[in-house]
Amino acid sequence: MTPRGRFLLATTTGLVLAGLVHIGVVLLIPRLAEADSLSRARVGETLDHAMPVYTLATGDTASPPEAWLPIPDPAVAVGICAYDLTEGPMRVSARTGPLMLSLAVHGRRGAFYAVTDQAAVRGGLDLVVLTRAQYDEALANADENDVTRDVRIVAPDAKGYVVVRVIAALPSQRPAANAAVQAVSCTVDLPVEDKAGG
Amino acid sequence: MNAADRAAPDRRARADGTPGRVVGAVRRAIRRASTVSLILYTLALGAGIGLATADYATRGGYPFGGVTVGAWTAWPRTGSVGADPYARAVNARRSEIPLAVGEGMLLTAAQDDAGQGLDAACTYAIAGITPPARAWTVTIAGRGPRDPAQPSLREGFTSTEILRESDGRFVITLSPEVQPGNWLPMPRASGPVRLALRLYDTPVAASAGTLDRAALPAITRTGCAA
Repeated sequence: MTPRGRFLLATTTGLVLAGLVHIGVVLLIPRLAEADSLSRARVGETLDHAMPVYTLATGDTASPPEAWLPIPDPAVAVGICAYDLTEGPMRVSARTGPLMLSLAVHGRRGAFYAVTDQAAVRGGLDLVVLTRAQYDEALANADENDVTRDVRIVAPDAKGYVVVRVIAALPSQRPAANAAVQAVSCTVDLPVEDKAGG
Repeated sequence: MNAADRAAPDRRARADGTPGRVVGAVRRAIRRASTVSLILYTLALGAGIGLATADYATRGGYPFGGVTVGAWTAWPRTGSVGADPYARAVNARRSEIPLAVGEGMLLTAAQDDAGQGLDAACTYAIAGITPPARAWTVTIAGRGPRDPAQPSLREGFTSTEILRESDGRFVITLSPEVQPGNWLPMPRASGPVRLALRLYDTPVAASAGTLDRAALPAITRTGCAA
């Protein structure tokens, strides 16, 4: 092979390699990112209520610096609950109020479920995120006469987060929106055995 | 004098010969290159171009997946499980929490209806209606920091607080000067501006491709401070 041919071969191989590196890096970024919302949500995993992500400015107080959304909506308070289903199913309970509220469940690949307060039953919205095995167990242990209000969602991954958004349609509703995000509780559901025993 | 005469053509010859000499050196290097150096060159090329293009594609906004409707671009799938790998990488890098399909939809606009970029020195009328939604907000969405000298009067409008005509249509005036009606102040004195329209709890998110131009507010430039 001529030196020129060898050089051209090396260049072509390099470009093909560049394409592979490009695809590999793009696919790996969400997995390796340390500042993405999933990793940041981890910080508040021990809380039993939603961790505020974007608190609305009220009166003269500006939004606190914990806001890390790149382009936040100045009329929507955002909170986040991280879950790790290896510890048990995650129960998210929200009381609906006059403000519009929405819950979205995000896994590693994106949001797989979202529900708004219009789906609430008697003023309450109970979301239980569980794995397939936990779901089967819950079905097997369910009492047929016991009507449950829970919305059960099977998560594709064990780790993820639930996003709470409350919209303050008017500036005067902003304190209420911030409070509504804080009022959402996220708890690890008790194992079914304990419940049956107690 | 003599020395200068002798030096001048010499320098000119060197200046003329530089590109030729570089090409010659490259040719000689290619001819003499060992297998090891060629492999190193291949690896460096692959890693360099691959990393640079991956960084470029996932920096800033979503590279594709948008549905252009008039001046607006809808991003219906960036938050769903069906999001493309680039959108997921962008979300991870910006630590964005995108709106899910059942939650709402984000639309952005960086240009007016005539295709000119939104300029902070100009005045725009954002007029019309929005697709059906329980609530929506129009906000100024970044592109550079907010001017600290300008007081932050208002960053956006919600569907509840906006003033409407009797037929339900609205006009938002995006302007650096104080305006009557729905005045949205410019965030800074100059530079490009981007708008975000967020529709909350909307059926449109599932069928963004069928959105009509007339269903979204039109953005028209009404004047410039020059």
